[in-house]
Amino acid sequence: MKLYKKEGNILQILSFPNESAEKGDYLLVEDAEASKALIVQVIDMQFASVPGVLEELLRTLPDGGELMQGEDFDPLEIAPHITYIQDASILICKIRATMQNETLSPSSSWLPSRSQSTIKRLALPSLLKLAKIDGKLPIILGSTKDSSLLTIDASSLDGGLNIISGKKGTGKSHLAKLLMLSLTGYKATVVVFDLNGEYLSLGTASDGKRNAHYDKVHVLTPSQNFKVALKQLNLHVLLGILIHALHLPGTSAREFRRIWQTLKERDALTLHELGETIRNWNCNQHVRDALSSRFHALVNSGFFTDNIAEATTLEDCFFRTKEQGGAIVINLRNTSAIDRQIVVEYVLGKLIELLTSWKLKAAFLFAEEAHLYLRETYWDDIVTRMRHFGIFTTFITNQPDTVKENIYRQADNIFLFNFTNEHDLDVVSRAARVDAETVKLIARDLPPHYCLSLGKAVRDFPIVVKVKALDVKTMGETRLFFKDMN
Amino acid sequence: MEINPQSIRFKMPPKTLKPVHQETTVAAIDTSVIKIGETSTGTLIAVRGANVLKHNKHYKYTRLGPFIFHITEENKHEVYNTLQKAYFDSPLSLNHYSLPSLQQTPTRIANLLERWLQSITAKALSNALILFDGSLTAGTPDTPIPLMKQILADARKRYNIVLAFSKMTNLRVNGHVITELQVGNKPPYLLEMDGLKPKPPITVLGDVYVAKLAHGNCAFRLDIDREVPSEQQIQSVEKLIGNDPLSQSYPETLRLAHIFCTFTANEVIAMQHFATRQYGLKILNRPDMHSLLFGPFGKGEYHS
Repeated sequence: MKLYKKEGNILQILSFPNESAEKGDYLLVEDAEASKALIVQVIDMQFASVPGVLEELLRTLPDGGELMQGEDFDPLEIAPHITYIQDASILICKIRATMQNETLSPSSSWLPSRSQSTIKRLALPSLLKLAKIDGKLPIILGSTKDSSLLTIDASSLDGGLNIISGKKGTGKSHLAKLLMLSLTGYKATVVVFDLNGEYLSLGTASDGKRNAHYDKVHVLTPSQNFKVALKQLNLHVLLGILIHALHLPGTSAREFRRIWQTLKERDALTLHELGETIRNWNCNQHVRDALSSRFHALVNSGFFTDNIAEATTLEDCFFRTKEQGGAIVINLRNTSAIDRQIVVEYVLGKLIELLTSWKLKAAFLFAEEAHLYLRETYWDDIVTRMRHFGIFTTFITNQPDTVKENIYRQADNIFLFNFTNEHDLDVVSRAARVDAETVKLIARDLPPHYCLSLGKAVRDFPIVVKVKALDVKTMGETRLFFKDMN
Repeated sequence: MEINPQSIRFKMPPKTLKPVHQETTVAAIDTSVIKIGETSTGTLIAVRGANVLKHNKHYKYTRLGPFIFHITEENKHEVYNTLQKAYFDSPLSLNHYSLPSLQQTPTRIANLLERWLQSITAKALSNALILFDGSLTAGTPDTPIPLMKQILADARKRYNIVLAFSKMTNLRVNGHVITELQVGNKPPYLLEMDGLKPKPPITVLGDVYVAKLAHGNCAFRLDIDREVPSEQQIQSVEKLIGNDPLSQSYPETLRLAHIFCTFTANEVIAMQHFATRQYGLKILNRPDMHSLLFGPFGKGEYHS
């Protein structure tokens, strides 16, 4: 390999056919004279612009488009040299760091010698060692191209904002499960908003038996094993539901506050009493109608109950996970859009309540296709306020444009699976921790289950990894009409 | 070739041609030479020859080379003589004047290969049309008369007819290049030249025509073996236009032979790579004197 050109932080390297390099590979451009080296990553490959190649190709196709038959007497065996030159490629590389005395710095302000520099592949284990990508709380993400394991530190997800994105069927949920189970392994509390019932069997092995995580996975299905009694609710949580999920106007919310206080004083916080009180409450007819319609929405959701015995105390679930860690899976499958928002408002409200009172230290929230249930104002809350409360969110989406731009800018880690759509790649490339070229050029060619890890977890060295398999029963598969037909 | 321009004239009227579609094998030969680079002692050159055969509507090529030579003042005659011996068994009219200078050697080596290819094609085929690139002029240092006569005789023996197409000609009638003159006839036609009297030792071994074989602006000088009767000469061209596609009056088989032997820039780089890797030759980048002296006004050494 030979150094050819440098433009900004892009290095162009001439590579010959026997020097194999692929997108995502790291190279070390060593200038012995300067005692420095550049660590660069291949983000694209092009044919070297060798003069005469077009003529060469045209020459082989003159017989009506078919390859022309013939014999070559090439006693000096020049032909291999011709193909060698013809197949030369230019590796477009992004400068990631400068290495001097075994220490790395993000600088690219020097120019290695074009004639004297040596270029060799930097094996990922060496890079991981140099960049100190390991940690005390290891999470094995999977294997890299050269079969070494990519291990990230669980603490790199702590206090952060993560995004897992990629098109359908590329393995996003699989990685989310891997991260969740690894976090629970370190006694972390994880909450999952499971839109498609993909995480319900986290505690079941692929053969249907219980796996090692069985006791740590708690599935809560609204209106089945997840119901709340009004008595268990704080007024501000319920008001959050009424205002944000059911869009109750301010005036009506004020009346509701008074109704709630009255019932609370009477120790009559039941659905029945609430309905009766609204019906008989002395107020403007429009306000009564507004309150009445929201009341029926709450009742119809099936999420609320007057039977304390069947009510679930979310606190208890959280406390169960507090000691040994665990995942609370909120099953939102088969839940209507309104009910989904009610449940999400309740869970988030409750979570903040527990965190602000320090009953809970922190929680990792995994939100699949969050735009379907997260209200507008929450997006900003998540990147600002909620991080300080101790909610560390991971968004999982196949529609990157549904996640707000500021989320990308603030993201600490991005795990990117294959995307072919230019628009999707454009959106993801707005992330602050990575350059647009890397996202666009590498993510486009990722095979299924291969993920480009970007950000804090990999110390800003984008690394392609094949996500490791999990012994978990697969759920959330698309139902197929032709599946069992011969 | 020195010719008395006063004596050249057209034999009017032009001979109108009708394509003859009788299946006939068409063969074409061409060679090319290129300078790969300079070393401290001489020049690196590469030579390649191509023979393209059209038979049963399909083309097939045979390509010889590239052959790379390192020519120096010291070895130029040895290289040339060795090749001449190897190709033609006995040296051809070797006198002091026929030995090439260093500058002429590349072209002369390519000529040797071309004559050898022509010779073996003439002996290998029968009832075929054999297309040469250039004219049937002999008596030059690189094309001795006996050699060219022998090639044509070998061809005739096997009922082959040699047709030589020249892309460039200096022959003029009334001051005009013969291929640029308009006679008003519809192509395809042949216009025979008369009165060609080259100065000895140069001889033209063919009857010379201006061939306009297809629509378009181009016409070519066409030499056909003089020993072939006139009717057969005309019929051979009619067979050519009935068997081989013509683009701008130029036969496709000969065009392919040219394409197959010509070196591309990619191949030159590959040969430089080969020479440096295989033989440790150091190719010098001599400064381009045009650029050096005239800056942006210098066009470089390959521009005239």
